[in-house]
Amino acid sequence: MNRKLTRRSVTAGLALGALVSPGWGIGLARAQTKTVKIAMIAPLSGPWARQGQLLRMGSDMAVDDINSQGGIKALGGAKIEIIYADAGDSTEKAKNAAQRLLSDHPDLVGGSGAWLSSFTLAVTEVTERAQLPWLTLSYSDAITNRGFKFVFQTSPTADWQAAETLPTAIKLAEAATGKRPKTIGIIQDNTASPVSFGKQLREGGGLDKVGLKPVVDQIFTPPLSDATPLVDKVRSAKPDFLMLLTSAMPDCKLVLEKLDEFKLSKGKVPLVGNGAPFGSPELLKTIGPELLEGLLFSVANWPMKGQEEFIERFKKRTGEPFLTQDGLCGYGDVAILKEALELAGAADKLKVAEAIRTMNLTTGPAAQSFPGPIKFDDKGRRQDVPMIFAQWQKGVPVTVFPTELALAKPFWPSV
Amino acid sequence: MRTRAEAGRQRWAILGFAVAILVLSFVVLKSAYYQLVLTQVLLWAVLSLAWNLLSGYSGYFSFGHAVFWGLGAYTVALGMLYLDLTPWISVPFAALVGAVAGAIIGYPTFRLRGHYFALAMLAYPLATLYVFQWLGYQELALPMKREAPLLYMQFEDPRAYVVLALGLVVAALLISLKVENSRFGMALLAIKQNEPAAEAAGINTWRWKMLALMLSGAIASIAGGLYGVVLLVITPETVFGMLVSAQALILALFGGVGSLWGPVIGAMLLVPLAEGLNAELGDVLPGIQGVVYGIAIIMIILWAPEGVYWRVLDRFSRRAPAPNTPETAVAGIAVNVAPLPRAPAPLGGSLLVLRDVGISFGGLRALDGIDLAIPEGGLYGIIGPNGAGKTTLFNVINGFLAPDRGAINFSGEPITGLRPSQICRRGVGRTFQVVRAFPRMTVLENVIVGAFVGAPDDATARQMALAALDRVGLSAQSSAVAGGLTTRELRLMELARALVPHPRLMLLDETLAGLAHDDLDGILTVIRQLRADGITVVIIEHTMQAMVKLVDHFTVLDHGRLIASGKPDDVVRDPSVIEAYLGKKWVDRVAVSAK
Amino acid sequence: MPFSANDFLQALAAGILVGGAYALMCIGLGIIFGAMRVINFAQGDFLMLGMYAAFYLTTGFGVLAFLGPYGGPIVAAFLAGPIVFAIGWVLHRFIVARVTGAGVAQIAGAGAYGQILVTLGISLILQNGGLIVFGSTPVGIRTPLSRQSWEIGDVLLNQARVVSFFFAVALAGGMYLFLSHTRLGKGLRAAADNPQAAIYMGIDVDRAHRIAWSIGVGITAVAGGLIATFQTFQPYVGFDFVIVMYAGVVLGGLGSNFGAFWGGLLIGVVQQMSTLILPYQLQNTAIFVVFLLIIFLRPQGMFGRLSERT
Repeated sequence: MNRKLTRRSVTAGLALGALVSPGWGIGLARAQTKTVKIAMIAPLSGPWARQGQLLRMGSDMAVDDINSQGGIKALGGAKIEIIYADAGDSTEKAKNAAQRLLSDHPDLVGGSGAWLSSFTLAVTEVTERAQLPWLTLSYSDAITNRGFKFVFQTSPTADWQAAETLPTAIKLAEAATGKRPKTIGIIQDNTASPVSFGKQLREGGGLDKVGLKPVVDQIFTPPLSDATPLVDKVRSAKPDFLMLLTSAMPDCKLVLEKLDEFKLSKGKVPLVGNGAPFGSPELLKTIGPELLEGLLFSVANWPMKGQEEFIERFKKRTGEPFLTQDGLCGYGDVAILKEALELAGAADKLKVAEAIRTMNLTTGPAAQSFPGPIKFDDKGRRQDVPMIFAQWQKGVPVTVFPTELALAKPFWPSV
Repeated sequence: MRTRAEAGRQRWAILGFAVAILVLSFVVLKSAYYQLVLTQVLLWAVLSLAWNLLSGYSGYFSFGHAVFWGLGAYTVALGMLYLDLTPWISVPFAALVGAVAGAIIGYPTFRLRGHYFALAMLAYPLATLYVFQWLGYQELALPMKREAPLLYMQFEDPRAYVVLALGLVVAALLISLKVENSRFGMALLAIKQNEPAAEAAGINTWRWKMLALMLSGAIASIAGGLYGVVLLVITPETVFGMLVSAQALILALFGGVGSLWGPVIGAMLLVPLAEGLNAELGDVLPGIQGVVYGIAIIMIILWAPEGVYWRVLDRFSRRAPAPNTPETAVAGIAVNVAPLPRAPAPLGGSLLVLRDVGISFGGLRALDGIDLAIPEGGLYGIIGPNGAGKTTLFNVINGFLAPDRGAINFSGEPITGLRPSQICRRGVGRTFQVVRAFPRMTVLENVIVGAFVGAPDDATARQMALAALDRVGLSAQSSAVAGGLTTRELRLMELARALVPHPRLMLLDETLAGLAHDDLDGILTVIRQLRADGITVVIIEHTMQAMVKLVDHFTVLDHGRLIASGKPDDVVRDPSVIEAYLGKKWVDRVAVSAK
Repeated sequence: MPFSANDFLQALAAGILVGGAYALMCIGLGIIFGAMRVINFAQGDFLMLGMYAAFYLTTGFGVLAFLGPYGGPIVAAFLAGPIVFAIGWVLHRFIVARVTGAGVAQIAGAGAYGQILVTLGISLILQNGGLIVFGSTPVGIRTPLSRQSWEIGDVLLNQARVVSFFFAVALAGGMYLFLSHTRLGKGLRAAADNPQAAIYMGIDVDRAHRIAWSIGVGITAVAGGLIATFQTFQPYVGFDFVIVMYAGVVLGGLGSNFGAFWGGLLIGVVQQMSTLILPYQLQNTAIFVVFLLIIFLRPQGMFGRLSERT
């Protein structure tokens, strides 16, 4: 919060300065450096405000980096300006924010957001009709199932993640213990992303393909009041590992603490989660590092090898204990748009969209912000993306798989 | 009830409003964002109008209108996703879904009163929310139909949605206007002000409430359907959430509950305010919209509890209709004052027969073994100390309570267990111990309510009402607002209302209570006149003096039982009666003095 | 779905434990309803205030840090009571009293609903104001009790929940004694039963209502503080509990504090034991079903009195 205010006052100060010295202002506008506008829609108020704040930290950092390193070279060093809009706490607000953004800034060339999959769905209905290229980290399949041409999903879809998570988890287990797990327990909530993940496991044959039998399979409606009945089933069925598909931090905490209480933690039942909430600093604050030790989770994007310096810079700048998916994707989306602008050579949204469609980046800040090459198929989905696994080790969630991107070695929790 | 002229004026106002919105949309507003907000304002106005139709008019506050809104939205979404159904069909179809939902919800829920009704209504959308989540409909996105967008209500130009939403608003306004000006509206108003009185006056309250809920649900659902088309993404929280129900309520309350324009005013003021606040301050002060809504409600309840519309109206005009309305003119014209013909007495001669009637409350036996036979014609008094069960007896005869044993016959036919409105239709009129007027309606309007039972149309109802007022001598006050009457005038008005449908039996519950000596004579004259006109009158009192002079026959109740029956003089001297009223000591004293 | 005896016992235990906290909440709501006949929409938000008060006392500002992680949270939960009592007092004095109590005739437009609506307004302000002041990130009180349990056979009893249960029951008992044996308590009940008569007897009904209201929200706040020891929360957590509270109070019988206690307890049990036979997702739907069934079949609940007569 403090940093936000500081930024605000700095920006306000600069604006004031520009107003006070009109000669300079006009002079600057006439000079070669113009600005190119991109947008970010994120929940900046309401239940997901924290996530929006993190996204914003990442994108602000990217904008500063780009502008301080000479801006967009193909446009004569034009600076990037990012306009934020608040998606609020409902799809109606998100849609309104998108519409307002477009009406107020018709010269936008691209944007990203809106974190929550239903918000993203609503926002992209607007941006698609405006032919504005849009990036998102939301991984619900519905987002890229609509035949849209201007929506690009930087995360692999839930379906794909489900298909990838299990084999990798099993591989890790086998490598560590020498035994292949046969049974699995699933605890999930019924929000959109876990539901599609779970659907792939059950109806999509994901479990069958890897020969896992679900001995616990529970879906709950958040918020969870008491994890006892859930964990009791885990205690009686004793699966070889437990898959947690809970998206809200309070629910994660209840389940993890209950596992500890039932003496199933600390390696008794290895835990595999999915999604960035499993790596949030808030989880650390409320549960503490001992309970989290060894918790594995698959996630679309997480700080990787080669980003060490970047991670330190982020931590210093924002005061955050560690970098998470939100900050990273916030940075990466802006970086992708910058590359697209360079490739397009014009501040034209259609050309930018085309550039994103045809790009294949393997180097540069954009490519470094995501695992795998930045390449989208005709649905707007990325191809050849490795599934990232992170693991809590000594109070920090670090990437442990795939090995070439890992910042630490994985271990399979055992007693 | 409005006059024809007023209704016509309102229709012009609606037209004017529509034109103004069109001008706003096509000429003034430039950006797609403002068109979107305008569309939302209009859609929320429709939801609020739907809410107002039920809750504003009848007083049955629904805290769960989101259930209709959400069902409408999901009808359209599921229709499009699974059946490829165009919204041009599914949106109107949503109205049917809403009406059916209203019927299903209303059937059990209207049996509840007050707080329980509110709580139950609160539960429905939330329960439905969970069900839809469980069914797997967390996020539904309406597919984009590039090949035939117009067929699927997908317009490039946002103003098309403004026009559609405006159409719904106009339709809802016209429907509300029609309801307000009809018997439907009058019945709802009567229910709001005093449901038992309405029921006793012959209004089938259950039927009108159900109709109101079904109509309200239909309108809310069709608006929800269009909302789904506009929003394109539907989640259970978005359409079934508490905020939707709250918004329907808040807009109507703020703008003017129970008025035609209130919901529209509320929508036009609050929705853009909220959106604007959200846009400007949303990230600095997250939740500012909620805080402002909360403050808006509190301020309105404290300072203008009926909403902006009524406050403004109060300030600029009087609420009672102008004195020179056609009603009083009609009153001058010759009106039927002739005494009513006597109805023939049925076989056996008893108009009202009670056989072994009993009822308990908790462990208390309020009435026990009541045998009563009241012949046609004449004045009968039922008397007894406080708590004897007199009003309970009337409530049982009248249908407000069902006895747990025994039978009641009226004019040879059983009426045990019938609704009060049905019993009223058979010819039983009733007044209440505490005057149950409709305080904000005029005297005439109060009485007209009683006329709906027998009158085939509103004009005849008016005539009958005026005649009744004349009978009791209240013609001069026909335009006065009932809330300002004296006790005597109120009692006369109640009498008039009960008299309008020409009942054969009148149940008067402590009509003389609270009246000063001078007023007493006036009322007694009216009551005696009723008897002269051939109406059987049963009157409850607990003061002996007034009754002794009035009635032909006494029946005495004590602790739920009949302890004496007969001519006034005999009953007064009956030792068991004296004991009941004054205690054993007095029995001896009277016995001594009688010797 | 077959379940073992142990599953049954475990679910029952979980239900009773969570029911203790619910019971305390319901008593708070019940006191308000019993005394004032007001449906308080904001009850859940006072619960939330209690949670945050307890949180700031222990973890946030560390005022009670010296009491350690076992005693601190419990003391904080109890201190939350007077804090929220004071807030409730102020709110009642300036807002709620104007639309409730003996002096208010039927407010024409809103009718008897004026009071419900004012509480709706308060709820919106508390929730969203809380969002502005506290932020949206879920927080919780750190105490090792939340992840330790006592064992009875194969049944595990979470320590934090057991401790909360005992304190909740103790407080409920204290409330019961207060209401039935002290003059103040009796005055409150008189004011509830018959405001007019109470006035004639010299009872200041307005003040009685204010006390009832403040006690009611204070007690619920303590319940919140106790819950905060094992659950994380954010500013709109109140709404999740509102339906539980109403279900419990209605089940127990509107107007009976004794009923409110058992109603809350029973709702907790229903909620947890429903998972034995229903899909876990429909846990709260089970509560709704019970709620609606009660309202339809036996509106006076287990111990309440019949509602208004003609």
